[in-house]
Amino acid sequence: MTPVATTLHLPRAGTQRRSTSEPPWVRWLLITIALLFLTLFLFVPLIAVFAQGLNKGIGFYLKTLSDPLAWSAIKLTLIAAGISVPLNCVFGVCAAWAIAKFDFRGKNILLTLIDLPFSISPVISGMIYVLVFGAQGWLGLYMNADKPWFPWLAQWLNVHDFHIIFAVPGIVLATIFVTFPFVARELIPLMQAQGRTEEEAARVLGASGWQTFWRVTLPNIKWGLIYGVVLCNARAMGEFGAVSVVSGHIRGETNTIPLHVEILYNEYNFTGAFAVASVLAFLALITLALKLWAERKNAALHAASQ
Amino acid sequence: MSVEVKNVTKKFGSFIALDNVNLKVESGELVALLGPSGSGKTTLLRTIAGLEFPDPGTAQILFYGEDVTLIPASERKAGFAFQHYALFRHMSVFENIAFGLRVRPKTTRPPEDEIRQRVNKLLQLIQLEPLAKRYPSQLSGGQRQRVALARALAVEPKVLLLDEPFGALDAKVRKELRRWLRQLHDEIHITTLFVTHDQEEALEVSDRVAILRAGKIEQIGSPEEIYDNPASPFVYDFLGNVNLFSGRVHEGSVIIGDTEFSVPETAGETETSTVAFVRPHDIRITREANGDKTFAALVVRSNAAGPVANLELARVNGGVQFTAQLSKEEFQQLQLKTGERVFVELKNVKVFNEDFSI
Repeated sequence: MTPVATTLHLPRAGTQRRSTSEPPWVRWLLITIALLFLTLFLFVPLIAVFAQGLNKGIGFYLKTLSDPLAWSAIKLTLIAAGISVPLNCVFGVCAAWAIAKFDFRGKNILLTLIDLPFSISPVISGMIYVLVFGAQGWLGLYMNADKPWFPWLAQWLNVHDFHIIFAVPGIVLATIFVTFPFVARELIPLMQAQGRTEEEAARVLGASGWQTFWRVTLPNIKWGLIYGVVLCNARAMGEFGAVSVVSGHIRGETNTIPLHVEILYNEYNFTGAFAVASVLAFLALITLALKLWAERKNAALHAASQ
Repeated sequence: MSVEVKNVTKKFGSFIALDNVNLKVESGELVALLGPSGSGKTTLLRTIAGLEFPDPGTAQILFYGEDVTLIPASERKAGFAFQHYALFRHMSVFENIAFGLRVRPKTTRPPEDEIRQRVNKLLQLIQLEPLAKRYPSQLSGGQRQRVALARALAVEPKVLLLDEPFGALDAKVRKELRRWLRQLHDEIHITTLFVTHDQEEALEVSDRVAILRAGKIEQIGSPEEIYDNPASPFVYDFLGNVNLFSGRVHEGSVIIGDTEFSVPETAGETETSTVAFVRPHDIRITREANGDKTFAALVVRSNAAGPVANLELARVNGGVQFTAQLSKEEFQQLQLKTGERVFVELKNVKVFNEDFSI
């Protein structure tokens, strides 16, 4: 009976040979290079962040994190992400819905505008906000004008000493700007691929635009939307460049986690810097897990629809 | 009159999809919109549904006398089945059918158990009761199409509009489903318009057929009417295979080569060159010449697979090729071989006065 067993194994070896025609040593070399690269540039730094953070023991780690300044940075980051992610979620869905389901003039211009935050440096986007909303910028000019339009507004702004730049609103604005494309970019191809016929069917059956959106469009894009939100959130929490320009680095007031890490690092408090950075790294890992989950659900939904 | 389309023109950029179309559909009628791709048939159907709007002007669309030209699709009460079904992929068959009832405003929405009753009745009608909990992805093409029809019928539409209802199905399911549609229509008598590019389908299923070409309705009539009396070379060609013979009109007959065939409707016309149209099954083949009523031809190829035999022939005089269709029996009696000389008689020769191009 042994020969039978051998013949049964043969086709398997055959298919393997056909799918990869390279000799074994080439395959192993390529795999090794890829693994080495991943280890060196991804795993080692990730582990290093946690290792460095815990360098001086768990006590120091907890002390750094419970420091009021660190705590306020974490809070501000959560506030910025908590405002910008829901807003971008709404903007993104609106933009994707308009672009994928309707034809209108200026569609390409809108698409380009959505990509703008991806294509310009975050530092420059921060600078633009300083220019527009800074004390020396247009907002400052307006608040200090002798005869401003809408005097009540100028008065209100002055009475409440309203600031955007070097204050929390600026950080939120900058975060919104930088993370704007994530949700829309994720949804546009998905919605375009799904086409308009389900929406048309809903309309003919008597559904209003609102009902069509909630009952037909949204369920179809649910997982893609979650995926976009997760990516958007990751970037919102980790954004450095644009936020750095508008923040003014006021400790305990306008520092986010990334900015706090930088300050600690510049003060040669490496262990503290890594300890705070490990919080970001941890949030990133959670984000990745969520992303993987959403991706699988999305793929499953797509497979089911075909 | 249940659906009336008046002076509807629709342009997409510089492309004219509908060119001043007028159409009247009696209530309870089943009308096919037949035409090649790009002829505007789907655009016409979508315009009736309110998914497209006619270019502003004197265009009017009436449902049972009521002007719905400016009323959006959601308020027209037309049932529409899409070519690729467009079922809601995240809803079960049951919920798909119930959708049109569930989205109604509270005041007109039937209570939950009435919705259930109505959906179950429709499931019965489409013979898919056991599959109520399935999702569209778990159904075959024919089942999906039936669900799409039930979903359209659930809202008790005034008219039913079907866009290539059998286009995406394989030949066998297609035939079954189109017989089923005809039966369904005979049962519920809802005014129905359906789009198709398949002439056989249109002729078999519908009460009347409207033939569209380049955004215009070329001819409308019962299947027999348009098949027997096509109004133009285009309609003639579109409804089946056709042979063209160039010849001359002379006092009520057409002269092809030296042979004369009577075409009564040309009486009174004299000596103009023309093109005669003959269907392959209107060509008779004999072994013997019959005076000046036949002309000689050579058998180029023969194919007897299927219920009828197809012959390819070439005229001895001039070599023009044409095809003939014989019954199996005739073919076996004649015992034709490739290269043999036969005599050809033409019946039901048709001549059009307008341009001869198809």
